[in-house]
Amino acid sequence: MKFLNFLIIFSAAIVLTFTSCKKDDDHDDTDHFHEGNVTIDFDHVWGATEEAFSLNKEMTHPMLNEKMTFNIFKYYVSNVRLKAKDGSWYAMPESYFIVDTDPSGSNLVTIPKVPGGEYTDVEMTFGVDSTRNTSGAQSGVLDPSKGMFWSWNSGYIMLKAEGIAPTAANGTFTFHLGGFKGENKVQTTKSYNFGSTALVVDGDREAEIHMVANPARLWHGAEKLSVKSVNTMPNALAKSMSSNYYDAVRFDHIHN
Amino acid sequence: MIRHKIRFLLFFLLIWGTSCQKDQDKSDFGLAYPDYFPEPYYKFGKNTLTKEGFELGRALFFDPILSIDSTISCASCHSQGHAFADHNTRMSFGIDGKMGDRNSPAMFNLAWQPIFMWDGGINHIEVMPFAPITNDVEMGETLENVIQKLKKHPKYVQRFQSVFGEKPIESQQLFYSLTQYMTMLVSDDSKYDQYRQGKVSFTIDEEDGLQIFKAKCASCHTEPLFTDFSLRNNGLEIVSDDFGFGRITLNEEDNYKFKVPSLRNIALTYPYMHDGRFRTLEQVLDHYSQGIVSHPNLDKNLISNGKLGIPMSDVDRQKIITFLHTLTDYTFISNPIFSE
Repeated sequence: MKFLNFLIIFSAAIVLTFTSCKKDDDHDDTDHFHEGNVTIDFDHVWGATEEAFSLNKEMTHPMLNEKMTFNIFKYYVSNVRLKAKDGSWYAMPESYFIVDTDPSGSNLVTIPKVPGGEYTDVEMTFGVDSTRNTSGAQSGVLDPSKGMFWSWNSGYIMLKAEGIAPTAANGTFTFHLGGFKGENKVQTTKSYNFGSTALVVDGDREAEIHMVANPARLWHGAEKLSVKSVNTMPNALAKSMSSNYYDAVRFDHIHN
Repeated sequence: MIRHKIRFLLFFLLIWGTSCQKDQDKSDFGLAYPDYFPEPYYKFGKNTLTKEGFELGRALFFDPILSIDSTISCASCHSQGHAFADHNTRMSFGIDGKMGDRNSPAMFNLAWQPIFMWDGGINHIEVMPFAPITNDVEMGETLENVIQKLKKHPKYVQRFQSVFGEKPIESQQLFYSLTQYMTMLVSDDSKYDQYRQGKVSFTIDEEDGLQIFKAKCASCHTEPLFTDFSLRNNGLEIVSDDFGFGRITLNEEDNYKFKVPSLRNIALTYPYMHDGRFRTLEQVLDHYSQGIVSHPNLDKNLISNGKLGIPMSDVDRQKIITFLHTLTDYTFISNPIFSE
């Protein structure tokens, strides 16, 4: 009796000891697919004609009818999840990215070590979740030295667009869009279905999700640059400009 | 038998509990405070408090390397002798003799403080130093550049590694170490504290002052930290377009609200208010009794029976001031472990 009791406690303790450090469970249910990387490629286009967007190139905004040359266009994407065919989700841990149109950064979001299998949807948050806006000093992509965090009004700059515009008051435009709480919170979670083609993750096999994003959409509903060319704090304009941009991001195709 | 079982269980729970932990700090170095203080607001979490981390934070606090031209350190405007407020100047001077637009606040008991800056715009102690380091009229530096300078500094490379391990210096480590220093700045040995602990007694005037203070001031300057950390409009005459909290929220109802400061060490930290407009405690109490200016956002505590201000007799005021002097913590301002 005594020994039995001991045995029960002993085995319980052993189980606890060995499970307590284990990370997220692996999805091992798909035997014939191997884990691999998934890449989300953000292709940036300009206006309804969808000409290629590029920094340091003069473009005319079709609605504002104003010339503009971007020298910064980047934004946070976070908490990327993939939905498997069986309806389960794979959430990437520590999933924070800056999508940057400058070659010094990257327009690719890479999700490493995705369990092998077929996936039907991707979900992501444009911006940074509110938790990380209130959790003190962060590292990596969320390091405030990336220039995407407000020092005087704590919170991430979720989207940064800067450049030259001859019609703007001082010849430049500066839009730092952010704000993580209240009615003007900017971060927005979106999910995209791949349609009839599933994304196959199987070892080294290519698994790319192509998205199309259109920076011109920031000014759908915003005033002309000659009227408003600077906005650098959380407010209703930050909310409406960022929503217009995020809402127009679309899933284009899959490369398998 | 049962005892046996419990003993086994405890033993294995111990194994389980420690199996994920890194090296435990064996020293008794830590945040100490009296039992009548509330639980600290700041939880160290991933920022493990160690003596070495605290000392690194202290070195950085006193080092002008954080400013663009190596002229201004944190300590330039936060002096221990003034409970880490500035040297009794209204506004502080940063790089190139540039003047700030608010009075440098005192620094102590920051582990209990949920928001920072006069306007409450900063939501976490770890990112607090980011503001003065990068402000144009304070240290005028970029975070990126500070990190580059620290990486080129053999002494700092070695010290960061001994605290945070063998990895490149990044801003999180800078903020963590400064936070360790800042949170250790605990002021809890004023005469008021010794009185609370039964070590000394108050004079009759000090005792009277405390009672009047409790009746007239403590709704915002709540014991034992002497602030409730709220943002309020305290009826100051509007002399600038500094909207305070309204600048952060863009909500008109928050205009001209500023953070309620702690009154600990208040005798050392003149001049008073966010813009340092009052030089003496007498002027401050004159303001609260007779100088309150009406405003839609005025704090309700400053209106009694339809009249503006807190009714106080001359004797009341004198006794409150006598009491406020018991909040000066001479141990804190001379403690060598906080010094360079």
